Amino acid sequence: MSSLGYFVEQYVLLAGALFTLGCVGFLVRRNVLVQLMSIELMLNAVNLMLVAFNRQHTADLNGQVFAFFIIAVAAAEVAVGLAIVLAFYRLKSSVQSDEADQLRH
Amino acid sequence: MQAIEALFPAHNYTLLSLIVLLPLLGAAVNGVFGKRLGKEAVSLLALSVMFIAFALAVVTFFALGHAQEGEQAARFYWKGWEWFHLTRADGSTSTLDVAFSVDALSGTMALIVTGVGFLIHLYSVSYMAEDPGFHRFLTYLNLFIFSMLVLILGDSLPVLFVGWEGVGLCSYLLIGFWFEDEKNAAAGKKAFVTNRIGDFGLLVAMGLLLYYTGGLDWSTIDSGAKNLLTPVQVWPLGSHVPAASLLPQGMENWVNMPRYVSAATLVGLALFLGCAGKSAQLPLYVWLPDAMAGPTPVSALIHAATMVTAGVYLLCRLSFVMVLSPAAMAVVAFTGALTALFAASIAFAQHDIKKVLAYSTVSQLGYMFLGVGVGAFSAGFFHVITHAFFKACMFLGAGSVIHAMHARIHDTDASQDMRNMGGLRKYMPYTFWTFTAAWAAIVGLPLTSGFFSKDEILLKAYTSFIKIPSAALADGTGGSMDVFSWPSWLGTALYAMGLITALMTAFYMTRLYIGTFFGEFKGWKIVKNWQEPAHAHGHDDHGHGHAHHEPGVPLEGPTPHESPWQMWVPLAVLGFLAAFAGFLNAAPLHITPFDSWLEPVFEKASASVQLIEGAEHFELPFLGLAFLSFAGGTGVAYYIYVLQKGKPAQAFVEAMPGFHALVFDKWRVDEIYEEYVIGAVDSLAEFFAWADKWIVDFLLARVTSFLVSTSGTALRFIQTGRVQTYAAVMVLGLGGVGWYFVTPRAEAKLESNDESGVYSLTAPQGLGYSYRWDLNNDGKWDDKEKFGDRTQQSLNLAAKENRTIRLEVKNAFGRSAVRSFNFARPAPDRSGATSRLEGDPGQARRAPEMRQLQKPQEMK
Repeated sequence: MSSLGYFVEQYVLLAGALFTLGCVGFLVRRNVLVQLMSIELMLNAVNLMLVAFNRQHTADLNGQVFAFFIIAVAAAEVAVGLAIVLAFYRLKSSVQSDEADQLRH
Repeated sequence: MQAIEALFPAHNYTLLSLIVLLPLLGAAVNGVFGKRLGKEAVSLLALSVMFIAFALAVVTFFALGHAQEGEQAARFYWKGWEWFHLTRADGSTSTLDVAFSVDALSGTMALIVTGVGFLIHLYSVSYMAEDPGFHRFLTYLNLFIFSMLVLILGDSLPVLFVGWEGVGLCSYLLIGFWFEDEKNAAAGKKAFVTNRIGDFGLLVAMGLLLYYTGGLDWSTIDSGAKNLLTPVQVWPLGSHVPAASLLPQGMENWVNMPRYVSAATLVGLALFLGCAGKSAQLPLYVWLPDAMAGPTPVSALIHAATMVTAGVYLLCRLSFVMVLSPAAMAVVAFTGALTALFAASIAFAQHDIKKVLAYSTVSQLGYMFLGVGVGAFSAGFFHVITHAFFKACMFLGAGSVIHAMHARIHDTDASQDMRNMGGLRKYMPYTFWTFTAAWAAIVGLPLTSGFFSKDEILLKAYTSFIKIPSAALADGTGGSMDVFSWPSWLGTALYAMGLITALMTAFYMTRLYIGTFFGEFKGWKIVKNWQEPAHAHGHDDHGHGHAHHEPGVPLEGPTPHESPWQMWVPLAVLGFLAAFAGFLNAAPLHITPFDSWLEPVFEKASASVQLIEGAEHFELPFLGLAFLSFAGGTGVAYYIYVLQKGKPAQAFVEAMPGFHALVFDKWRVDEIYEEYVIGAVDSLAEFFAWADKWIVDFLLARVTSFLVSTSGTALRFIQTGRVQTYAAVMVLGLGGVGWYFVTPRAEAKLESNDESGVYSLTAPQGLGYSYRWDLNNDGKWDDKEKFGDRTQQSLNLAAKENRTIRLEVKNAFGRSAVRSFNFARPAPDRSGATSRLEGDPGQARRAPEMRQLQKPQEMK
């Protein structure tokens, strides 16, 4: 594969970096909107991995098809997520996730 | 008659279903719609279903008579549906049908139940007219008749048992009919619980019969009855008595010696326990006197005429089983005689008219068991019938008297107290004359029904005994168990007890008769044209408290009145029968249509009953003795209560107050039961309550909940409610899972075959795994220390050879793990070889044992 000028390692590294960025972002930021964006980052890191590895199996398009599915599901998830954020904002006049701790009780 | 035979053939006698179901129909309609239907409609329905059932029973009776001509046993059978079937361990099945059958015995009993039942229904319509629970009462009565008919006509023990429980339930409901009064509800409960003890016996008998005879319907029990002579070891319960080794040697052997009885004895005793519960025999009689708390027609119908004789009926029905065990029969006869004597003694000191009648019922039931126990089944059963007539008549007469007393006295105990009665002969002629007939029968006035039935039982008690079943002697099984044979003194003892009871019965019944109907009326001062103050009045106890008059001021009231025709017509019919039914079976006059009618039913059982030598010579002297006991009892009572106005009785009570109190308190049997039986049950209950409180509630519930709540408190710190915390835990978890996957594991599945010496290892596949092996154990990896993809290796070992091989696994990340396995092939097993030669060679080959020879150890 490297003969084609294609190094899967580079993609893996990039995807890993993206995923870590999203993961850390989700864990440390308190703004729900930013958290949603972090989730998108993680999803896209996975998408990137799928597509990159799929390049190694040229006869098989499963990875790419999977990536499309994830994009569609992510879109739906964002729609739901934003609706929740909106409802949450109406309730608390805030988009800070640590305000949403009522599950504790 | 021909039309009936054509319509209802003997093997599919559908008329039976009608007889049984009609009372149920009455109960169902009256029970559901009774309140809306009104009293007239309820009585009409209840009475008409009873009358039709009675008419059908009469038709059946005559059809049976027609079919039984020429001394051929006739039996009509009707099968409803298959109920269930049981498969035994040996694969054989017993089918149980909901089936009914009628023969001479059950046909006669059904006639009594529906006939006397109809009369008492008629009586109740008037007696209970004022009661707010009128429709409920008639519903229960109809339901009772239904259950009783199921009991009588059922073709198998389980069907009989349904009826048996049904009558128990109705008895409970009717004893506690006025359940607002605590005392009545308690009496109902007592009856129910005491009957449960008996029912246990009946259930045990059913199990045993099913086991030994292979079925529970009458014909299967009959055909399998000979199996009941099997000896059964009843002692010791296990292989030996647990603590017996502590005893001296001789005693230990004696204690541990196995003891056998025949299965028939076990069945007979278990059956008798059931019958003793239902028919109020010692030691389970205590519920019947208390059962008088129910309305008086109930006492007449259930607790005198029908239900309490169910035990006698069952013993007659299974007579062919009972006679297989002379021991069980002796127990039945002796318990019967003892009960008769014991209950009669209590009746001496009672003042409550219904209590006297209740103890007299227990006593008469004892007679019936005495008759059945000595094998005089038809005599015992004849007493069931005459007793149904005269005792129902007496109870209804007592009810009529109580009804009259209720004009001014509303308290239950006072209205039933004989000391408040007297002289009623003048005011209640119908009641008086019918009661006289019943009295004459029970005290044994010659030529009345009671005279003949009692005399027959007493004669048979002396002259007949039960043989040891010939089969037990013939096939030698008799040798291994102690076969009980009747001692010669038993007949004399039974006869003596019976005769003394007859004397006592004559005395206390005359006392009751004189106290109620002769002398001066002592209830209240009779005032002509007395006007009743405006209030409602009912019968028996309704908890009215307002009628109590000022002490010291004599109570005034109207002339006691005779009861309406609905009440005295049944009395008249029953009184007539009580006087003259004896001619159905007047053995001394050699008029015995009843005996020959029942003969086919008891044919099999009678074969085991023997008469002592010269039995016919006792007939006349015993007649004389019976007459003497009647004359003596009534004469003494006449002397004491009429000529001396009860002074000797007073003097006796004053001379021995303690003894009188003891008898008045019914020998304090209830107190003994309370102390020991109920006390024991209470302690058991206390123990279980303790266990419930400290083991179930505390240990299992409280401690568990404490553990859960404590761990919950600890875990609550983790639950922050913040989504980031949860996500962080998730990330940690994912990290752990990832770590697990990137760590290689050197594992292998071993297959060893000691026989051939071939051992193999299979390492599992894994993502990016590569393997290298060291099979020859030289410390160097095979294949020039290179990793390959070979997951399986096998090796041959010589006998007694030991080998350790190693496996290293490397994954895609370059991490590796090593493990070593040790194989040892044992020396060829000589003894195993011989056994294999004897055994199935294929089997040996098919068993390559899978076993790991050494615990894998991590080598890193």
